[in-house]
Amino acid sequence: MTMQADNNTPAGRTKTPGTTAIAVQSVFRKYYFTQAARIEVPDRIEEREFGYMRFGDSFPAAGGAMVRHLAFRSVGELVASLIRDPPADVFCSNAYYRFPANEMREKEWRGADLIFDIDGKDFDLPCVPSHSYLVCRECGFSDLQENLHGPQAGLSFVCPSCKASRPNITSLPCTKCIDASKNEAIRLVSLLSGDFGIELDRIKVYFSGNNGFHLHVSDDSFNQLDSQARSDIVGYLTGNGLMPESIGVRKAGDRGFAIRFPRGGISYGWRARVAKKLKIDASSEKKLEHIVSQKGGYAGFRTELERIAREEGLVIDPQVTTDTHRVFRMPGTLNSKSGLAKVRCGNIGSFDPFTEACLLEDQEIITTAKADVKVRLRGKTFRLEVKERSILLPAYAAVYLACKGLAELEISS
Amino acid sequence: MSIRLGTSDIAKYPFLREASEYVRQTGFGFEEFDRPEMQYIVDRAARRIEQEIVTGQVFDEFDERTEILTFLISLMIVKSLGMEPILRKYSLFESMRAEKFLVRDLEQLKSKNEKRQLLLFKIFEELFKVKVDIDTTDSRLFKVRVVDYLLRASHFHEQEWKLVNRLVHGGYVYLDADETVRLIRVELSALIYDRVKEMSIPSVPDAIKSRTENLKEKLRPYFEYRTYKVSDYPPCVKHAIEVMNRGENLPHSARVMLATYMLAIEKPVDEIIALFQNAPDYNERITRYQVQHLAGEKGSRTRYSVPSCDKLRNENLCFATAECSGIINPVQFGRRARNNDNAGR
Repeated sequence: MTMQADNNTPAGRTKTPGTTAIAVQSVFRKYYFTQAARIEVPDRIEEREFGYMRFGDSFPAAGGAMVRHLAFRSVGELVASLIRDPPADVFCSNAYYRFPANEMREKEWRGADLIFDIDGKDFDLPCVPSHSYLVCRECGFSDLQENLHGPQAGLSFVCPSCKASRPNITSLPCTKCIDASKNEAIRLVSLLSGDFGIELDRIKVYFSGNNGFHLHVSDDSFNQLDSQARSDIVGYLTGNGLMPESIGVRKAGDRGFAIRFPRGGISYGWRARVAKKLKIDASSEKKLEHIVSQKGGYAGFRTELERIAREEGLVIDPQVTTDTHRVFRMPGTLNSKSGLAKVRCGNIGSFDPFTEACLLEDQEIITTAKADVKVRLRGKTFRLEVKERSILLPAYAAVYLACKGLAELEISS
Repeated sequence: MSIRLGTSDIAKYPFLREASEYVRQTGFGFEEFDRPEMQYIVDRAARRIEQEIVTGQVFDEFDERTEILTFLISLMIVKSLGMEPILRKYSLFESMRAEKFLVRDLEQLKSKNEKRQLLLFKIFEELFKVKVDIDTTDSRLFKVRVVDYLLRASHFHEQEWKLVNRLVHGGYVYLDADETVRLIRVELSALIYDRVKEMSIPSVPDAIKSRTENLKEKLRPYFEYRTYKVSDYPPCVKHAIEVMNRGENLPHSARVMLATYMLAIEKPVDEIIALFQNAPDYNERITRYQVQHLAGEKGSRTRYSVPSCDKLRNENLCFATAECSGIINPVQFGRRARNNDNAGR
């Protein structure tokens, strides 16, 4: 392995993780020791940059140091490093470099996979406050968001225990949250294959390990696209910048607009999506004229089009797709926000992350709840109350709650 | 490249390797340019350059018999002039001239098996690595792969070129003849630029040498341009001025930004116009009208404001630095620093 100095930790200072962190790290180590085969080896591994997020001493309230510019020649070398000193999170670049371990300007970029990130929290679902917790960054006190201040909690948080005002918000995604991201992933696959012509077997869908889905496109022809071209792809998928002219409405004449359907018709792509929403087809120029008039002319129709674009466009993280030097969570590794793994979805429709990505061992760990909480994992429901003394939970459930900041773990002797 | 072209094709696309090969095969020697009957072609080449550089108009005469030699001589003259802005401007105009022929040829394509179609598509594929195909349902439409489109059009700043405003289906973007050719304008211009750069002329014939000297005198006033001090401007404006100073092409939206910014800081219209003087397609009359239009003095009488940082970011015209922190419009750049300076006095 080759690496450069830890970026964020001052030289000569080593942070000591707390007991919860040590317990979680120990469970992570066992996972990497016993289930290393789950780690998916990226193409051209020797040209990839790897990165780790270390366990912080106040895990999970504050992240540890990020280490980047690592390089491995084989997956064996990577796994050995994960077992030796298990990180909280493992990342691998979407880019290929000639010298992946060098500093950014000396890496010599050779291309990057096209990647997408769908995050459940971007859907602003009404269910979120009912399963989101505010966790005080100072003393670790936590409670359901809606118990503290109602749905708007977090805006003016004052910790009932220590009066500090800086909370972390942690969410235990429910099936509705997962379903929303799942639907988006399905729509994204359909657009990539239908509009962009990418073959289905070149689109890999992964559960992110917490509350969303990642898509990796392994089609070489897209690898050389720069950030600007990828930003154009994002624009297409989200519908950002859709102009009335693209559906045949342009500014003109006394009435302020003129209609002529574009050459190529309105049967495909965004034109078809807009036509469907407006209930028009290739023979409906008159009808479209009526709609535009009703909306108040060109400007009014543009506003309507923006509304349709927001409704029909995908919700994806633009930063992830446009970044051609990103380190992205590595498939098969554990997510320290949940202890679940980033795993490939065979059938996304029926995929159940709380079973299929819940891969930690079931050896029991002494767990103390920091909030009243209920969670269902691997088909079992776990209910914990603050007033209870410490209880024994299987590692996968204990670690899940610890990663969410809702429980503290003890190191078994 | 192995495209089999007829003389008329070579005349239209004289930048193809086949053109120089054609000249070589005829056994034509450079010294023949000194013969009196060649004077007409030498003059025509000089006129072509002069028109493109001075008036900013594409030379649209076409004479199949003399086209290849005219092009060859004009390359030699441009090379001998040795002025980078002239070379850039000349390359751009020659590519625009070729564009017209390409568009016309594409528009005249009817059936899929037509020899010309294969020929044109080969030009695209072999010179520019863009695979163009004809739409099976509408022969006026052409399709290029999404990736080929993005590699080029994502650098165009006009909103209509954004992928979201295109017909995209099954891995292809559908374009008309005009758009298909526009897609490769930059590469076509670069190809001509490279042809001049890589050209080696052992000795320039006297007839061309004297015509070059004559032209150099005529063009000198157009290229004694000022370069503007750029250090006080916001980085987006600074970038636009730098591009202009290099005599490179600046997208329309960046020109609007540059002009509106200069109007906002109350620079005189004449000085603003002078900023655009190095643009490859500069035309004083058109530029003056456009700047006056933005100033609200012509046309709609609306004074245009400087595009916001947000808009510039969307159009990839933002080159923000730490000093841009907290501003939402380029006109605010440096205001805080200036205010602090004043406060300190």
